Amino acid sequence: MDTKKIVIDVKDFSFSYLMSDGEMQKKAVENINFQVCKGEFFCIIGANESGKSTLCNALVGLIPHFFQGDMDGEITVLGEDTRKSTVADLTSKIGLVFQDPFNQLTYTTTSVAEELAFGLGNIGVPREEMYRRVNDVAKTMRIDHLLQKNPLELSGGQVQRVALGSVFVMNPQIIVLDECTAQLDPLGSKEIFDVVKVLNERGITVVMADNDMERVAEYSDHVLVLHNNKQVTWGETREVFTNLDFSSLNLNPPVYVSISKKYINQGLWKKEVAIKEKEIINISREILER
Amino acid sequence: MKIQFTDLHFSYPSGDEALKGISLDFSGTEPVALIGQNGSGKTTFAKHFNGILRPTSGTLLIDGEDIHSKTTAEWSARIGYVFQNPQDQLFLETVKKELEFGPKKIKMAQERIDENVRYAAQLCQMDDKLSVHPFDLSPTQRKFCTIASIIAMDPEVILLDEPTGGQDYDGNRLLEDIIKDLHKKGKLIITISHDMDFVIRNFERVIVLCDGKVIIDADTRTAFSKVEELASTFIEPPPVTRIGQALGFDETVIDIQQFFTCFDKRKKGTI
Repeated sequence: MDTKKIVIDVKDFSFSYLMSDGEMQKKAVENINFQVCKGEFFCIIGANESGKSTLCNALVGLIPHFFQGDMDGEITVLGEDTRKSTVADLTSKIGLVFQDPFNQLTYTTTSVAEELAFGLGNIGVPREEMYRRVNDVAKTMRIDHLLQKNPLELSGGQVQRVALGSVFVMNPQIIVLDECTAQLDPLGSKEIFDVVKVLNERGITVVMADNDMERVAEYSDHVLVLHNNKQVTWGETREVFTNLDFSSLNLNPPVYVSISKKYINQGLWKKEVAIKEKEIINISREILER
Repeated sequence: MKIQFTDLHFSYPSGDEALKGISLDFSGTEPVALIGQNGSGKTTFAKHFNGILRPTSGTLLIDGEDIHSKTTAEWSARIGYVFQNPQDQLFLETVKKELEFGPKKIKMAQERIDENVRYAAQLCQMDDKLSVHPFDLSPTQRKFCTIASIIAMDPEVILLDEPTGGQDYDGNRLLEDIIKDLHKKGKLIITISHDMDFVIRNFERVIVLCDGKVIIDADTRTAFSKVEELASTFIEPPPVTRIGQALGFDETVIDIQQFFTCFDKRKKGTI
């Protein structure tokens, strides 16, 4: 079946960064193995410095082509070995959104519209198609009212959506987002998850490193858990969250999971753990109405 | 220390009015959280406390003294502001030099500098990184370096601008320890944060800004019970509060323990 097509295959991946003094740093990630299928909303979670950014950089080929170091194992993206491919080739298929949107802006444009059109101009897309794609992306990102504004005058959530839009406009099949909600207020963060969800529903595969456990639970269907640069587990979000010992990994469990586990321990609930707000509200109502 | 804002207005040179009449009093050491969506004026307001920004109109009195009576450098000895972005603050080649810079600038005696730097470094877990270049620190460590460099000046009031952004569980715990320790030492800590769980765990007073005005100034639990006002500034109450609200609990719950107290009460009531 088409939806089960593997689009990312990571096999025994390890990486150590080369430091400025010529020494090799301790492994940034070690023995990572997972697969992402077409159309998944795949989240990577783990404490700071557990290896999330390293993985994101590797998926889009910045490792090993931009960051120097020792790479072991193999990463295949849409059938291509990232080691043998180039970053330019890969970015047409898999786009990366940085944690800090100001690292993504070109700083050469004076309007959101130009910013969104920048990448298309680089690959020589005809003007009319460019207009059409920029307008379409602006609508999806809910920034169509901002097209004439200077990108540097926008709020954090808005500028992050411009950054995401500038990646999306290139029509990638996969989008990788590296903790791009960390600096945003709760509403800004929700806005990002919501537009990413829209892209996902349009068939784009999403890989998102994020540590907001409630949102990861609410939005993702698969999750990879990192701890101390190693992989703890990966699989379907509900299954992983049911069995994960969050506190030993320095993570806060989603409140939905904590409440439903308590119901289960008290014998009030006998079915599966809730991972979404609606689910826990419905379960709580059912228990209260008994 | 008593800090009194009366009808504070502030406009940027572009003409945008960021603060539209803020009247607030701060005294004592009860930790205060300043919340509101991006662009609501939190940072602009916080930068007024030691005069980095000066009121366009209205008054700010610190222990009765007008803010205009001294320079920012002078006020900084008593009121420290930690920038949101460490890059705006750090500029020296070692962590130790960063930490010593402020105290030296305000002409603190060398003995006290050593003592304060040691305390600040230890509190912010920078003590094994004193010889490291700040730009070799991870982004979160850099944030703790900026916090330590303000603590080293031993001010009476410390403003932390969005210290929780990008922090994980360990980072948040360390922040909590820092705030608790400073509170115990009699400091007033005022913190801007988007992390509502963090606000609930650590602050007794919550001020909500919306479009340059104060729309809520209350104890934490009361603040999060004001669903409509919060919605108007696009702040979502934390998930556990929303679940309690959806279930129609009479009280506002802000943590799991309170949730289950209300839940058990409701359950007994229905039997």
